[in-house]
This record gives sequence, structure tokens and C-alpha cells, in this order.
Amino acid sequence: MHRTVPSLPLAPSVKVKLINAGFQVASDLIDMRPLQLCKEAGISQEEAVEVLQMLRDDGQPHQQRAATESLTALDLLHQEQALGSIVTFCSALDDALGGGVPVGKTTEICGSPGVGKTQLCMQLAVDVQIPVCFGGLGGKALYIDTEGSFLVQRVADMAEAAVQHCTLLAEDTEQRQALEELTVEKILSNIFLVRCHDYVELLAEVYLLPDFLSEHPEVRLVVIDSIAFPFRHDFEDLSQRTRLLNGLAQQLIQLATQHSVAVVLTNQMTTRVSNGQSKLVPALGESWGHAATQRLILHWEGLRRLASLYKSPSQMEATIQYQITVQGFRDAPDEPRPTPATSAVSSPSGNHSKHPRMEDRS
Amino acid sequence: MASKKLRRTGVSAELCERLKRHQLETCQDVLSITPVELMRLAGLSYSAALDLLRLLSKACAPAVSSAWDLWRKKGELCFSTSLPALDRLLRGGLPRGALTEVTGPSGCGKTQLCIMLSVLATLPRSMGGLDSGVIFIDTESAFSAERLVEMAQARFPEFFSVKERLLEMASRVHLFRELTCQDVLNRLERLEEDIIACRAGLLILDSVASVVRKEFDTSLPGNLMFRSNLLGQEAGVLKYLSQAFCIPVVLTNQITTHVGEKVHCPQWNQADVSTEEDSGFVTAALGNTWSHCVNTRLIVQYEDTERRQIVIAKSPVAPFAMLSYTVQKEGIRLEGNENPESVLNQGTDPGLQPIRVRTGFIYNLSQATPSTC
Repeated sequence: MHRTVPSLPLAPSVKVKLINAGFQVASDLIDMRPLQLCKEAGISQEEAVEVLQMLRDDGQPHQQRAATESLTALDLLHQEQALGSIVTFCSALDDALGGGVPVGKTTEICGSPGVGKTQLCMQLAVDVQIPVCFGGLGGKALYIDTEGSFLVQRVADMAEAAVQHCTLLAEDTEQRQALEELTVEKILSNIFLVRCHDYVELLAEVYLLPDFLSEHPEVRLVVIDSIAFPFRHDFEDLSQRTRLLNGLAQQLIQLATQHSVAVVLTNQMTTRVSNGQSKLVPALGESWGHAATQRLILHWEGLRRLASLYKSPSQMEATIQYQITVQGFRDAPDEPRPTPATSAVSSPSGNHSKHPRMEDRS
Repeated sequence: MASKKLRRTGVSAELCERLKRHQLETCQDVLSITPVELMRLAGLSYSAALDLLRLLSKACAPAVSSAWDLWRKKGELCFSTSLPALDRLLRGGLPRGALTEVTGPSGCGKTQLCIMLSVLATLPRSMGGLDSGVIFIDTESAFSAERLVEMAQARFPEFFSVKERLLEMASRVHLFRELTCQDVLNRLERLEEDIIACRAGLLILDSVASVVRKEFDTSLPGNLMFRSNLLGQEAGVLKYLSQAFCIPVVLTNQITTHVGEKVHCPQWNQADVSTEEDSGFVTAALGNTWSHCVNTRLIVQYEDTERRQIVIAKSPVAPFAMLSYTVQKEGIRLEGNENPESVLNQGTDPGLQPIRVRTGFIYNLSQATPSTC
């Protein structure tokens, strides 16, 4: 109620007229009638109605909401556990991430070329569809492809391997029933695909995402592969690029929380020369490092592929090894695993997504 | 599309005028500014600015399809290379709608492979071809029409025994010679019309590296970024063309010496690795950014004095693999792959994969060696 008129989200011309008529604070306006406001401020009748409606929406429910909607951390804990996470089928990575890629947050995957970013994204698009009775989310996926690396033969292979894996794990009738509906065709048709050719198409798509997610509430995963490619070569004005990327990051975080989806972004690496040495760092600049909630960096070490959890509000930094097999994204073979290879991914009884956070993670 | 004029998107004429005063005329201009800036420039309230952005987004955004729609068009996903082992690894052949790069030392067979693919693309579908034209952008003046004809006759002798077919095949390959970076970029930006006119089903750019390396001296400051920008632009245009027309795009690249620690390569014999070269090794040119831009990278290298190898260094569908081949009259012939190694789930960074170059030259007067380039 103490909000000043210049800070209201109105058209600039309207604001100027209101200020000239002597209205300084929102509380001056709140009791006015439209015709009265129209005459005093010299604005049109429609504009007056718009001003008053905006104030009404802004004022009352805001205060009411503020009073009733303070969440306790315990409520949040229940919410976070209910949201769940998406397994990656690499149990070492799932452990490091605390169960998998979390729903309701943005995760960024950076990496050198050929290390497996697109493979991981395709694997997640398949894994999000694992039925609830197997410990998955039973949701759909939206894959925004800006590079053209989404080759459907590979996704079909991964889907086939996932179905076979679930078949091996099926124990009771509910699981067997769910398995009958889980076919490669169904998995492929639940992955929505959008191909963006430049940054304008990508921005346009993100503006339309809230409507899309409202129309398709079963979508639990949004992948943007990659967010770096369209932004790396079309910009002379780097500050404009930073502004656009920040806006994009904000919109994606909003989407993740409001629609309960996991947002996964892929980033590339760039060479930075400092003190005569060149290093590989994530692309898109320093300020982009703050954009995602979690950051995973995939890199080569000789012949091995490693994943490092670089930034996370809830998990420790960790580096694990993984490999890409015919079936998809999996654990590396020389990890000392006491369980045999067929049950390398945890069965529902020991599923990490049901692992309560309150227990000690060691 | 992004350059759509605002007038045509359903925005009111008065608003268009207001925006034009601030040089905002296309969807791209308006979507490139933040909502708060738009509020200020257009004189709109915040919610009206968001509505305008949503309206323009609906006009620009690409359509949503599903992976199942792609899978149903299985026959149109790949372009078979007529090398069975390679096709098997690549799950059908070169992907249509993505960029494939062939890189390697000189004289190894990159242009030969491009010429072979040109012949294959013109073949009818019953023989595994695309029954289409080919656009060949040549920056090194290495394309030889005689070799094209010789290869066609040697590879498909019965089909090309009829002379008309040979002439028709040759008339379907359209050659463009471009010698500077700007020429290449201009040609690519106007290529849509050529692709439609030639009914092209394959686009070859041989080579990307030669023009770029001639003009950009990367030891000068700023040039590296400029070069990366140019390459990124080329990659963007090529990806758009390949996806819009659903055609494979093949690019060739060169090699450069990478100064630094040697990266171990899987499947090499330890005896072959020369121990003195700890200070540098040969790898694909054009840097890390370009390695991100291409979707598939095939490296050709020398195995020994007669045989060469194709290495699949980067691919969204294929594992890391090596296949031996020789260059013959009929083009590339895979041989020596009788014992296929079990698929190794290993690999290296495709930008740092060491490449074997030719170390010795054999001068053999009595044999008539096939003319390679």
C-alpha cells in the first residue's frame, strides 16, 4: 500500500499523467472510482479501469497470501520428497546427485565435445517415463534441440534397453501390468521434440513454455540441448547476450518450480587463455555460472569419462566415472560393485528416490 | 521465422508504428530485448508487454513434434555410404539433418570419399541412393570430374554401362568454386534457392578449413574469436539447411599440431607410438568450438604404408570404432576388418584425438598406383 506510483507495472505515459495529477503512492489511488480517476488524471476510461484492476489484484490477495503462505522448512521437505527425481541409470551419478536429476530445479550439464551430454539428455528423456511402480515418475519429456544431435535411432535403442531392464525387475502384478503398456513406440511418442535454429526461436519457445506445460501437465522434464550453440556466434553486443541469458535463466527457474518440472540445460566448453596457458571452461561467460541451481561438468581423463558435480545447494562435490554403452548412459565397469551386473541399477526396494533425506547420507 | 515483420503477426498498426520509431521492425528485434525495455520503448504496461511477447513468440516458435513422428519416417533418416561395416556402426549411414565432418591428413582420401558420396547420391533409391542432385562447394579446386566418372564406372559397372546414365549422373553434380571466407558464407546464405533448383539431396563442402586458415592468423589477438564466430555462423546456416531439407551435409577439415600432453588412444599398439613426440601431436584443426558444432566426426588416418583407417571419433549413435580401408579405382573399399573388435565403450575427446600421418614415402616405379589426390 505504500508502493509509489512510478514503480507500478503500468505504461509510462499513464504513470506520467498520474504523477502530474498528484498521485504519489498506490494508497492514494485505491479508493478512486474509474470516472473520477479519468477526470482527475486525464487518462482514458479503459486505462483508468486497468489501473484500478491492477491495484486490486496487487493489493489484497498479496497481503492475504503473505499471511497464509509462509512455508515452513518441514513443508518444503515434504514437497521436495514428493517431487522426486529422475534416475540416470548410472548409480554412481544418481548417488552423487542424491537420487537423480531433481524435479523442480534447473540442472546444467557442461562438457567437451563428444563426452556424452546429448547421451545423458536422451537417457533422461527415456528415464522420466519409467512407471511409478518401478520407482520412476511416469511422466513425459520435452526436448528442445538446437544442435541437431537428437538422432531417434539412438533413443529407440535406449528405450529398448530400459524396457528390458524393467522386465528383469518386474516382481508383482502391478509392475507386470505397467510393463505391458511400456513399449518403445509409447516411449518415443511421449518425447515432444522442438527444433530451434537460432536464439530467437529458442527465446520464443521459452516464452510459450508456460502455456505448453499447462496444456500437458504430465511433462516432468524439459531439456534444452544445447543452450550455448545459438548464443555463441550471433552476438556482437555481449551485454545484450548477458541480459537475455539472465532473463532466460529466470524464466526457466520459474517454470521449474511452478510446473514441477526438471529443467536440464547443456552447455559447451570454451578455451580461456590466461597467463599463457589455455584451459577449458564452461561457455557463456561468468555470470551464466549463477543461472542454474546445479552444475555438472563432464570431462575426459585419458580414456575415461568423468562427471563432476560442481555446484549444488544440497549435495557434496563429487567426481564419478561413467560410460556410454550400447544401452545408453551407464556405470563404468571397474567400479567395485558387490551386486551382479544385471541389477546394477537399484531395484525398487532400495530405490534412491525413496531414500529419505533425513537419514545420514554417508 | 525470426525475421518476420511485425505487421504480419497481428500486432495493431499503431503499435507497429510506435515500435518502428525505435528501430524494432521484426520479431527478432522485439524478442531480443527484455520485457522491461519493451515496456519503456513501446509505452506498454508490464502485462501488455508480456502479451505482446507471447503473441510474437507464437508467430516465431517452431512446431512441436514427437520422437515417434521421426521414428515413423525411418527410411528417410540416413544416407547409406555403401560401406556395410560403417553403415552398421552408424545405424544406417550418414544422418540426414545433421553435419558430418571428415578430417585427416592430406592425401588420405577425404576428397575421394566426397566424390564417392556424390556418385552414391545420384543413384536411384533401389540401389541405395537418394536419386537427387549434389551440391559440391569446392574451395581447394580438388574436385576432378574425370575421377567422378572413373569411380562411377568402376563401382557400378553394369548400371553405368549405358552412357546416358553416366552423363545424367555427371549433370546432377553441381560444382561451386569459392575461394574466400566471405564468398563461402555468401554462397551458403543463398544456397536455399540452389538446393531447390538442383533438387539436391546432398551438400558437400570441401574444405571448411582451407579458406579459414588462409585468412585468419590465430596468433594475432582477436582473430581467434572472429574465426570462431565465422565458423559458428557457417555451422548455423548449414544446420538450418540440412534440417529444413532433410539432407546430409558433409564437410572436410584439415589437421593441426596440438602442443601439449599426448592423449592415449585406444587400440593402438604401444610399439607404434613414437616416444619422442611428447611435445605435440597431430589432431583435427579449427579448434574446440568447431568440434562442438559438428554432429559426427570421422577421422581418416594412415595405418601403415598401404592401408588407412576411418575412425568414428564423435557420433550421437555410434561408439568409438576404427575401420581399415584402401583407396581403389572404385573409391573407398573397406578391407582388413575380418575380426571386428568387440565394441569398446571408450573414446577420447574428438578434438584431441591423435591422428596418424604418413611417415614414410614409398617410391615404387614398377607399379601403376591409382591416382589419388
